[in-house]
Amino acid sequence: MSRTILEVTDLRKDYRQRRGLVSMLTGQGRVIPAVDGVSFYLRENETVGLVGESGCGKTTIGRTVLRLTDASSGRIVFDGRDITTLSRAELRPLRREMQMIFQDLDAGLNPEMRVRDILREALTVHERPSEAEIAGRVRELLEQVSLKDSKLANFPSELSGGEKRRVGIARVLAVRPRLIVADEPTSALDISIQAQVVNLLRDLQKHLGLTYLFISHDLPVVELVSQKVAVMYLGRIVEMGLAENIAHQPRHPYTGILWSSLADKQSIEASRRVRDVTVERERRAWGVFDFEQPTSGCRFAPRCPLYREKGRPAVCTDPASEPQLRDVGHGHVVACHFA
Amino acid sequence: MDAPLLAVENLRTYFYSRAKRAFIRSVDGVSLGVMRGETLGIVGESGSGKSVTALSAAGLVTAGPGVISGRIDLQSNGSRRNLLDGLENYARVTEQDGRVMAVEKDERGWRRHSETLMAGVRGKEIAMIFQNPRSALNPYSTIGKQLVETIRLHTNFKGERQARERAIHWLERVRIDSPRLRFDNFPFGMSGGMCQRAMIAMALSAEPSLLIADEPTTGLDATIQSTIVDLLAQLKTETGITTLLISHDISVIQRLSDRIAVMYGGTVVETGRAAQVLAPEATTRHPYTAALLASIPSAETIRRKSYLQAIEGEVLDTIEVPRGCRFYGRCNRVTEAIRENCAGLEPPLGEVAPGHKVRCWLYPAGRKA
Repeated sequence: MSRTILEVTDLRKDYRQRRGLVSMLTGQGRVIPAVDGVSFYLRENETVGLVGESGCGKTTIGRTVLRLTDASSGRIVFDGRDITTLSRAELRPLRREMQMIFQDLDAGLNPEMRVRDILREALTVHERPSEAEIAGRVRELLEQVSLKDSKLANFPSELSGGEKRRVGIARVLAVRPRLIVADEPTSALDISIQAQVVNLLRDLQKHLGLTYLFISHDLPVVELVSQKVAVMYLGRIVEMGLAENIAHQPRHPYTGILWSSLADKQSIEASRRVRDVTVERERRAWGVFDFEQPTSGCRFAPRCPLYREKGRPAVCTDPASEPQLRDVGHGHVVACHFA
Repeated sequence: MDAPLLAVENLRTYFYSRAKRAFIRSVDGVSLGVMRGETLGIVGESGSGKSVTALSAAGLVTAGPGVISGRIDLQSNGSRRNLLDGLENYARVTEQDGRVMAVEKDERGWRRHSETLMAGVRGKEIAMIFQNPRSALNPYSTIGKQLVETIRLHTNFKGERQARERAIHWLERVRIDSPRLRFDNFPFGMSGGMCQRAMIAMALSAEPSLLIADEPTTGLDATIQSTIVDLLAQLKTETGITTLLISHDISVIQRLSDRIAVMYGGTVVETGRAAQVLAPEATTRHPYTAALLASIPSAETIRRKSYLQAIEGEVLDTIEVPRGCRFYGRCNRVTEAIRENCAGLEPPLGEVAPGHKVRCWLYPAGRKA
């Protein structure tokens, strides 16, 4: 079994909401736990998918594990080294090993620079290679992301969405990273281009031995590329396990609802039946989603079909017993009293 | 058979791009009909011209030195009105070899005339819902006030109290919880899904004959998306409203449409009943539609962890439109027998089965024409 490259333990990230003059002056404000005690690990050369609705903390996790933003508490171990509290200077050599692909196609592409210079900058940020080496590496990068030579002279604004994405990926590969956090890498692309990029990312993983934390709301794609999938709800992982188990034998009611609402992407005909018969009933009572609403006990209870079906058991809303992740076999973990 | 409620004929909508000093042929000869009571879904990628088609029908294309030509006929109160009638008098187009060289346009005259044509149509006969509901609602006014305003303006519920009851009725119809409380909410206090419901209520409250839904679920969360699709499906059964639905999401189109038009590079490349266009076993379908469906990960692909069938190449740039088929450069079904045609001659939209048309040289009906 390959070794663990990233281990995250009880990660928390609070944002402070300052509303109004008083809280601004006193520096106090409501604390919003965007990430509320999350633990997981990634093994070398594997892909872990991170799914959940917007606002559930997926991106915050991605940014925090790369130390693009500081964790409020918890521990992040990268390649055997605790990086949670490393200083900027200490982090610098590690930065090249962990990179991020952003959802925004223009992120990291200086509009004033030609593609050639964007890649050159990425190649020289950590090293001082010779001109010949740079030229060789640029060629290699273009080949890796299947981009034509002719694009080197273009500015980002002259590129199509798919080409921008390829340049963005080439720029990340320039520093030879080992871990890549891919935050919605395809969502800004046209449907006909998305498949190209998914194939490219999988190819690169195979050839370069990359490890991905793959953040996406495109569940079929997540299931396709990931070995393991973690499902998040309001800052917590509520279920985690092998991709096929999460997709086809979910144990947490939220996972089931999430997947059924997107089932149509896989099989349009089958979904009609799934939707109309099974899920319709659960949907009708699907309430409003409020991240700031304090809940006691299980945070999913207010929207949970199982909770209603079971006659609103007290344990679900008991402040002292928020369900914890527990193993239900084969490393599949679920945070539900009834899983 | 009845005449369609909305009939678009040979619609061309071009925009001038200052940066590229050329005309973008966003919509390039589109003909469509929406029958009373049906939902026509237009599916396509960004830049395919699907939204611009809808905006043209709603008289919302006013930008710069653009130009619209063709006919858009709307049936209202038993009479037909061409929503583009007389607009050609305000713009002169110089064409060469099928390329637009120059446009002279009386902007103010165009706009004024367009407003006259659309008066009493937009909002009343044709209502629209958009991708971003929050930006379409007035942030300074409560949902209720905005609804009441629409109702008093467009329907016979003129009295304040009457209109208020009607507004609450519509909030109920779109399944907004506690409509009497929500009536006094401002848009910022509501979630995206809730805003979209309010937007739908507002569009329907004018009792329009045609609803244009432009990417109604895009930008919403996945779980919310499906509830909005559910709502639109329910309202369709309850009200039977004629709908022109625009989406890039095939699953949304599939769920709601009676008929489908697939657009690529400013033209319709395939049209037919939903079952014909999306039938899993269909053999006569446009290579683009086929490729689009194949690029979605199927259960089989996921199980075998195989590669996705990507469509190679880039989305067509509608400035330099090729001579032949617009999909030629990316098509994987070109055979030697038809290659010359594909490269040099735009295929016609030929009928391959009753009501099912495909713009491709592969099919005999297309070749004959």
